[in-house]
Amino acid sequence: MIYLDAAATTLQKPPEVRRAVMKAIETMASPGRGSHRPAMLAADTAFACRQAAAELFQVKEPDHVVFTLNATHGLNIAIHSVVHPGDTVLISGYEHNAVTRTLAALDGVTVKIAAAPLFKPDAMLRAFDRAFTKEVSAVVCTHVSNVFGYELPIADIAALCQQHQVPLIVDASQSAGCLPVHMDELGAAFIAMPGHKGLFGPQGTGLLLCGDVPAQPLLMGGTGSISAIQEMPEFLPDRLEAGTQNIAGIAGLLEGIHFIQRHGTAWILEHERSLAARAASRLSGYGVHTFVSPGMAWQIGVLSFQVTGMDCEAVAEQLGDRGIAVRAGLHCAPLAHRSAGTYTSGTVRASFSPFNTERDADTLARTVAAL
Amino acid sequence: MIYYLIICRSLTYAQRTAAVLERAGIPGRVMRAPKSITGEGCTHAVKVSERKLPDALVVLRRTDLTPSRIYLTESDGSYREVDL
Repeated sequence: MIYLDAAATTLQKPPEVRRAVMKAIETMASPGRGSHRPAMLAADTAFACRQAAAELFQVKEPDHVVFTLNATHGLNIAIHSVVHPGDTVLISGYEHNAVTRTLAALDGVTVKIAAAPLFKPDAMLRAFDRAFTKEVSAVVCTHVSNVFGYELPIADIAALCQQHQVPLIVDASQSAGCLPVHMDELGAAFIAMPGHKGLFGPQGTGLLLCGDVPAQPLLMGGTGSISAIQEMPEFLPDRLEAGTQNIAGIAGLLEGIHFIQRHGTAWILEHERSLAARAASRLSGYGVHTFVSPGMAWQIGVLSFQVTGMDCEAVAEQLGDRGIAVRAGLHCAPLAHRSAGTYTSGTVRASFSPFNTERDADTLARTVAAL
Repeated sequence: MIYYLIICRSLTYAQRTAAVLERAGIPGRVMRAPKSITGEGCTHAVKVSERKLPDALVVLRRTDLTPSRIYLTESDGSYREVDL
């Protein structure tokens, strides 16, 4: 199997991840729920993961690193903390349903879209600037489009938010692990990310990095702290972590973060991007339409393409039959497809990881050409 | 053995406290605080030896990790709050 669906979930993980998960299942209980060794081992692991994430993402304190189920969970917490009925929220035209559906479910919220063509970061920034009217009380923006690998000018958008003193929520689902994501530089209210994509953790893990905006819990329950009080604790991370944590997943996530720290995001980005560029070049040579930023300047290792005369789902199915895993359709991001003009047709998406090779990219292109 | 318990608002806060102390060469063990001294229910504490408390307080003040309260163990196993 050639796995090219890392933008959904990385299948190949560093071997340390699996070992850590197994060890956690065999030796660890629940952090904060006892002084016995299994509980304290779990507590040490959770804290080590918070510390590693705080270091990688430049979060001021490990307390502000909250464990979630996935990026969607984190985005829901962030949006419910910042957005209130009657608010006007500004988003990019490349958001995932994790953002758009969550906003749509809130009563009386007006959503403004900063619309700009694909791979045009200057145009995107101008669109944000134009749409930044005085009614806007929050901004939600993806760092990288999950469909096209398009990196949005998040630092400039963050600066715009600071200028207008409006809280920013960043969806770092595709950037965490391959691009610098720095909480202190962006000054974001929240940054949400999955653990199971570029951080190489198991499914069911995610991180929510919290700034100074008060956070509202989605779940209430036991936290192992101030148990006699019936309100959720005011302090992080307890406020947002009701119930038993996924300690086996967190143990794996910790090793995934260590892998990134060892290799560096710059190397990971370069590796993945070069494979996407190689696949795009080969596919173009076979007459396949690819969505590529000039020089891959604003694109990570995610490549969308369309095969003339074939339904994108049929392409993905036939590639799957031939041992190549890709994803097709709207990728849970209809807004991004509308922005790029691919809503009607959808696209096929190949997304690369550090475990892919040039041979994988070449095989993809050759196999598509032979369909 | 007489020791002090530095009461912290949460497990993570206690872990941060212990980590800072450890970096300063002061051993501190994270543990659940005794029920008899946790008015609001479960909380965590960092246990430090009697002679290390002054140094620990200096380190914690410097790093802005303020303890909620500090207790001293009595010879009969009970706890007495210490004024900071």
